[in-house]
Amino acid sequence: MADRKTGGGQQPDAKGEASADIKTDASAKMERDSFVHTFFKKGAEFTDELLRENDRLRKRLFDLESENAALRTHLASDEAIRELLRKIEYLEREKEQLLSHVREAERNSSHLFTRYSEVEEELSNLAHLYVASYQLHSTLHLREVLRHLKELLTQLVGSRAHAFYLKDGTELVPIASDGIELSRLPRLAIHAGSRKEEDRGSRDRTGDLIERVFMTGVAHIEEGELSSAPRDQPAACVPMRIDDAVVGVIVIYSLLDQKEQFLPVDYALFKMLGAHAATALMGALLFANSNGRFPGLEAIDAITRNVGDDLK
Amino acid sequence: MSAEYTCLVVEDSPMMRQLLVFALSRVKNLRVTEADDGVDGLRKLAAGRFDIILTDINMPIMDGLKLVKRVRSDPMHKDTPVIIITTEGAAEDRKRAIELGANAYITKPIQAPQVIAKVKELLKIVP
Repeated sequence: MADRKTGGGQQPDAKGEASADIKTDASAKMERDSFVHTFFKKGAEFTDELLRENDRLRKRLFDLESENAALRTHLASDEAIRELLRKIEYLEREKEQLLSHVREAERNSSHLFTRYSEVEEELSNLAHLYVASYQLHSTLHLREVLRHLKELLTQLVGSRAHAFYLKDGTELVPIASDGIELSRLPRLAIHAGSRKEEDRGSRDRTGDLIERVFMTGVAHIEEGELSSAPRDQPAACVPMRIDDAVVGVIVIYSLLDQKEQFLPVDYALFKMLGAHAATALMGALLFANSNGRFPGLEAIDAITRNVGDDLK
Repeated sequence: MSAEYTCLVVEDSPMMRQLLVFALSRVKNLRVTEADDGVDGLRKLAAGRFDIILTDINMPIMDGLKLVKRVRSDPMHKDTPVIIITTEGAAEDRKRAIELGANAYITKPIQAPQVIAKVKELLKIVP
């Protein structure tokens, strides 16, 4: 507008002015174009930058979301681990309790097993005693009684050589033997008092031992390992009694190789034999003397009467 | 209660036989048959089947080793476990008994727990 007012008043220089105006316009247009171009270019660049920023932010958002998800997972995992640790701790406690119960049960079981073994051994010992006693008193025939006595010593005690001595007057007489010839066994004189030195020298240690056991009524039984026991004296000498009187001696000279030592059951058997062997032998002798006749009722009546008189 | 296992005890000594029967009565479900000697043992074996045999060696008429030999040649009992019971503790006797076909060897004087354990082992009875 200003340019048009100026152009109407100054004619001579109009061409030049017009040319200058044209130049100015062109320059302005150029500037404008340049500006627009720059503006759009900047705008485009800005838009590109915005788009890039947007992409970057989207990517960052995605990363953050991923990270967040990972953290959540991690957190959940941590929680699971903590839960597992709690569970492990609980299970450890439970395991400790169970182990304690097991140890207690094992102790009880071991105790019961020991007790069971003891009872089994006791039963076995009682069976030995029952069988020995049953067999010993199952007959009144002297031959059978002696056979049972020998068998008892061989089969139950493990004796290889043994003999039975009975008192006859002032002597101990061998009446039966096994594993050693009866004819080789001497009669043994019983000395009530102290014996003279010369007499003592004429007898071996076995004779002395048998006499001592008879006189004192105290059994001689080798203790500990039989392999280390003295060879020149019997492994066992057991007095045979009727009531309180010693009437004979059972002598065990040697034992089977596999018999290492006397066991508790052997001691019980010796005790039983000490009390029952002589009565079985005497019963058999009396039965033999009566020619195998059993006493009648009259004998029982007489005995009962005598017992009654004694009680008055 | 029916017996699950059957056992034949061949022993000429009544005392030992009685003791073995007592010991074996501790094994659950085991029925025991007794024989006086090897011949009686063979007679009992011919009459029935046995799961295990316990025999003495030294017996009149037929000893334990001959009995083992006969048992091993009998198709019915050739695989039946046999326990030899004897007074002899020597290794040669043990070897001879095992060579003849015995499965185990127990020396006298016998201990019930030992007999029970051996019978259970051969019959595969879990304690």
